[in-house]
Formats: sequence, C-alpha cells, structure tokens
Amino acid sequence: MISRRNFITSIATGVAATALLTACGGSDGGGSAGTVEKPTVINYTWWGNDDRAERTNKAIALFNEQNPTIKVVGTFTDWAGYWQKRATEAAGGGLPDVMQWDLSYLRDYAQRNQLLDLGDIGIDISGFDKTLLPSGQVNDKLYGLPAGTNAFAVYYDPAKLKEIGVAEPTGKWTYAQYQQFLTDAGTKSGGKYYGSTDFSGIWWLFNIYLRQNNIPAFTADGKLGFTKADLNAWWSMNSDLRGTPAIIPAADVTQLLPKSPFGSNKTVSEPTWDNFMGGYLADSGAKELNMVAVPSDDPDNLGLFLKPAMLMVASAKTKNKDAAAKFIDFMINSPEVGEIFKTTRGVPASKTQREGTTFDGVDAQVVAYEESIAKYLTDAPEPPIVGFGTLESEFLRIQEELNYGKVTVDEAVDQWFTSAEDVISQNS
Amino acid sequence: MTQTPAPTRRAKSGPPLRDEKLKQRRAEARTGYAFLLPWLLGFILLTAGPMISSLYLSFTNYNLFEAPKWIGFENYTKLFQDDRFIQSVKVTLTYVVFGTPAKLIAALAIAMLLNSKRRGRGFYRSAFYVPSLIGASVSVAIVWKAMFGDAGPVDQILSFFGIGIGGWVGNPSMTMPMMILLTVWQFGAPMIIFLAGLKQVPAEMYEAAEMDGAGSVRKFLSITLPLLSPVIFFNLLMETIHAFQIFASAFIISNGSGGPAGSTMFYTLYLYLRGFGDFRMGYASAMAWLLLIVIGIITLIFFKTSNNWVHYSGDEK
Repeated sequence: MISRRNFITSIATGVAATALLTACGGSDGGGSAGTVEKPTVINYTWWGNDDRAERTNKAIALFNEQNPTIKVVGTFTDWAGYWQKRATEAAGGGLPDVMQWDLSYLRDYAQRNQLLDLGDIGIDISGFDKTLLPSGQVNDKLYGLPAGTNAFAVYYDPAKLKEIGVAEPTGKWTYAQYQQFLTDAGTKSGGKYYGSTDFSGIWWLFNIYLRQNNIPAFTADGKLGFTKADLNAWWSMNSDLRGTPAIIPAADVTQLLPKSPFGSNKTVSEPTWDNFMGGYLADSGAKELNMVAVPSDDPDNLGLFLKPAMLMVASAKTKNKDAAAKFIDFMINSPEVGEIFKTTRGVPASKTQREGTTFDGVDAQVVAYEESIAKYLTDAPEPPIVGFGTLESEFLRIQEELNYGKVTVDEAVDQWFTSAEDVISQNS
Repeated sequence: MTQTPAPTRRAKSGPPLRDEKLKQRRAEARTGYAFLLPWLLGFILLTAGPMISSLYLSFTNYNLFEAPKWIGFENYTKLFQDDRFIQSVKVTLTYVVFGTPAKLIAALAIAMLLNSKRRGRGFYRSAFYVPSLIGASVSVAIVWKAMFGDAGPVDQILSFFGIGIGGWVGNPSMTMPMMILLTVWQFGAPMIIFLAGLKQVPAEMYEAAEMDGAGSVRKFLSITLPLLSPVIFFNLLMETIHAFQIFASAFIISNGSGGPAGSTMFYTLYLYLRGFGDFRMGYASAMAWLLLIVIGIITLIFFKTSNNWVHYSGDEK
C-alpha cells in the first residue's frame, strides 16, 4: 500500500513543487528584462556525469559573467532519472526554461505543445548545416537545436589486436567480413577477449542497416517503415555467433554494467557513437583506441548520418523567452563554449563554434573520423515517432532475452512488433 | 423569602458555569484541531486526494501531457494479456512466498539466540539490527550487487569450495536467490519484535516443562511457538505486505530494467516503468489499485485463518 501511496505522493509533490516554483518564477514579472541588481532568473537542466557537470558549470559561469542581467541556475541528473523528472514537470506545467534534450523524446514533447518554437526568437542558426536542422524540426517548426553531432562507428583496441595477432580493420567491410573479424578475435585470443557485444541489439545500428537497404525506419505518418521480415533478418544475422567467442555472453554484459564490455577490456571492439571515445579511454585505461566506419554490404551506401548528440530546447511555458534564447544562442554558437566542451557533446554542430574550437588528442580523432566519413553521410533522421523511447528500450530488452536464449528470433520479432503496435496505437 | 434567591442564584450561576466549560472544551477542541491540521491537510492533499485521482486515472488513458481519456475497464483487462505483467506477478509471488518465511525463520532463530543471557548481548542485538536500518538504502543494493558480481567475494568463496557459479547478478536463475538473501539479511525489524515477544514468555513454564522431562525441541514447539503466535502473526502480516512492495533494491540491482531477462521485474518496478518510462499513468494506476486489492484480500485471508493458530493469553477456546 505504501508503494502506491509513495507513487501517488511523488506525483502530487512533483506537481505541487513545480506549481510552487512556477508561481515564484511568475512573480518576477513576465518577459521583462532583468537588471544587474535584479537579474532575470532562468533554469537550465541537463543529464550527464561529473565531467559534463563541471564543463557545464564553467559555461554557465561564463554566461552569467557576460550577461549580468540574466542569471542561469543549473541542475543535472543522470540519464535514467532525467526523463521521469521531465515527465512530472510537464504534467505540472513547469518544465525548466532551457533543457538539454534527446532526439528520442523530441517528438513526444513537441507534438504535445511542451516545447518552444525556436524559429523566430532571435537565435542565430546561420552556422548550421542545412541537412542537420530537420532533426530538430517537428511539423515544420524548429523545436530543438543540436549542440553537437555524433556519428556511428566501430571502435577497436589496436594493442589488443596486436597481442592476439589479428589485423586491424580498415572500415571497408561487409557484414560477413565484420563477423569473421569478431570470430577471429574471439578464437585467437583463446578466451581472453571476446569479439564484441551482440551488435544486433543496438537500435541505431539496425537503423543504419535499414538505410543501407533503403528502407525507412518510420513513415511520415508515424508508422513503422519496415516489416517483421526485416527485423527477423537483422536479428538472425548473429544467430550462429551467439554463444561463440565472437560475442560476449549476455550474463557478462549485465554483470559489467554500467561499464560496457569494451570499456572493461572484455572485448576487442564495439560499435557505438563516436563521442564515446573519452569515456572508453577512461574506463579501459587503454593508451589508444581507433574508430572505423560500420560494415555495409553496399560499399557506396554506408547508411551513416550525423545525429544531434544532444539538442537544446526551451519550455513552451517559459516566462523569459529572450533570456532563454540568449542562453541557447550562447551554448550552441559561442567558440568559448566550444573550448569548454570540446567533443564531449559531440563535434560542435554550429560552424561558428566548430571553427572557433581547437581540437587535439582524442577530440581531434573524433573530428577526423567525422571528416573521413563525410562523403557517405546522408540526411540526419527526423525526430522519430512519439513513444520512440519505449520502442528503443524494448528493442534492447527483447534482444537481451534473445541473447539469454529465452526466446527464438521469431518470438523476439513478434514480441517487439506487438509492443511497437501498442505504442503506436496508444499515441495516434 | 430566603429560599428564593438560592434557585435564582443557582439558575444565574449555572449557565455561566456551563458556558465556561463549553468554552473551555471548544478552545481545547480548537487547539486539538490546530494540532491535527498539518496531518489532516497532509492526509487530504497527499494521500486521500491522490488516491481518488489515481482511482479515476486507472479508468483512463493518461500520458501526463494530455487530458485523461475515459476508457472504462480497458486498463484492467489489458493487464491480463500483458506478458510482462504476468512475469512481474510471478516474480513478485516467488519473492513473497520464499523470501518472507525465510526472513521470519532467520529473525526468530537469531532472536532466540540473543534472548539467552550471554556476554555482549547488547552489541549483537545492535549489530544484527543495523542491516534493516540501512536495508532499503541505495548503497546496500550497490554493495550487494558488487558482492554477488563476477569475481565478487561470494563467487570467490563458493569457488573455493568447488561450487563456482560465476556472477549471480547476470544470471537470470540466480538473481531471485540473491534478492531473497538480501531480504533475509534484513531481518532486524522482525527480530526486535520477536525478542520483545520472547521476553513475555514466563520462565516458569519452561521450568515446569523441564521438570516434566521436555527437551528443547518439545519446549520450542509446545511453549515458545504457541505463546509467540500473536507476534508471529503480526510479523508475517507486516513482512508479507512489505515484500509485495519491494522496489528500491530491484531497481538498483537491475539498473531499473528488471533484467537480466526479466528475472527481477518486480510488480512495483514494472508499475514504475509503465508510469514514468512509457508515460502510461492510467495503466500504472490500474496496477497500483490491483496491488492494493490483492494485498487487501491476502490480509483478510490472514485474519480469517489466524483464529486457527494464533493464541492470545486469556483467550480460552
């Protein structure tokens, strides 16, 4: 009984607290400009680790110094708690003025009128590549601006490959060659390392695979663009590899959380976003890690794209549009902010910021990778359908059951489609 | 002449006296209500109100952003077609059925050990109680996860005895034993209550039984258990209700996913994921009310059957 009460109380307190906070915010006097004595206060929230917190606080301090009439108050949580907080705030009508955002949730909130149209509130968007802006647009309105971009890559550890006598990949490879590489790495190391995690559990890699085959992930009217057969083909691809040294067992992956198997030195490679480099180096203690492009059976179509690593958005109900716009502009365009974050938010998305930032070491590697794949890049994906967050976590969960041998590929595909159809019917 | 003033005086002085008392009583009542107010407000705003709205929401489709849509009993009927819901019920029932008795047995055993007079009793009592104080905290679940992880102390000790199972955390068939061990380890609260109960058992009864030649097993079965039955009943009821509500430790150990392979998908965790992960507040509310009803029914069954085995002193039947 207490759980129910706690559950409800938490909603109620959340609502009450946000109501209280907005009430306080409101007494400030709407959108009127602040003064040095009484600056306009805006709230900014983000997810991330201590490193990002430190960098963000530096950026905020710099902004406050340059704009004495505005005071930015920052708070942050980890990813898991972030969206629950936003959901309760949205229910109470009191989202923070400015927020760091993810593509997965952009449509959910934009379509439900929770986010501010950033199109005409004085933010300079001239520095953005035209192919990148659609990923912040929902129904032709600009709700999110990318702070940085990331692209998908396959990481590998050159030292480990040398140790076990496997040649480094070149990034020009088919899926069969990629699987052979994983098998080689797993068998030649004699049990010391596995090849990789089961890459078929990663939604975004599946999305890339669909693009390689010219299949859209979602249709314009918010339905699935692919069939059960497509997903079946994808999940079947690794059927022979599961349980071999090519792929690390699901039990080990679970055990190592929150670190990844690659970061824990259990595998020689891992496919993921290119801005994870710093985290991998810190986790694994490796001196050097390299990135190559993802495999593709069509050498001219790698299906790769630049995705906003994170977006900046504002609350539709913010009382201080001008201050919020100024802060977003500062965060995405200022070269000084670029110097603070380097590539930890992805490679800076706006040209002004990117060109004003010096990259060296790991950051230079990330930038170099994105340059190396530039000719293969296609348009950034539009914000996925409403409820995409659920679909993505279901993808991972069901694929995990597959790896544990709890379900067959056919059952897994059926399960995911049942869940996806439920989500889509719920939100249409 | 002299008699008349008396009644008038009485009549005159009577009402003021009653007024005085009434005033005083009212003042007392006001003070009482004033003191009660914070709780009353809290109850209405934070418990009764949300409960009623949750009941309403359980009949709606509500995603936190848009106004709730009335859908009748759809949430409730959908529950029984939901594989993950069925899974969460199974996981939770396994935990309740095995975890609660194991915890109570451990609590009673340690309470009996600590009831005897030996040196350092106070220390041991505190030491055994501490885990249940910090039991629900996040840190313990994290420590527990590390202990049962790959190459963790538990795995190493077991390997030393030749029973290497590897890490428990990633093994779907070992997570439930691990969760049960975690709850058993937090036996402090029922132990304290058992200790208090054991103190009430008159020593003469044991002495009398000893004179009749009863062994320790006999004494335990014929004296300790029956006399302790009200305390056992209380603990059983509280711990069962408690077990149904397991959340924090499951959340931490599975990183909020209910994994591996759904083996720690407890009822409340699934409820939470539906509500805050998928924005299905109506569905989550229906789950919450179903849990309330089930716990209510189980409590009722406990009370009804308790007549057969719970003996209160002075209760001659």
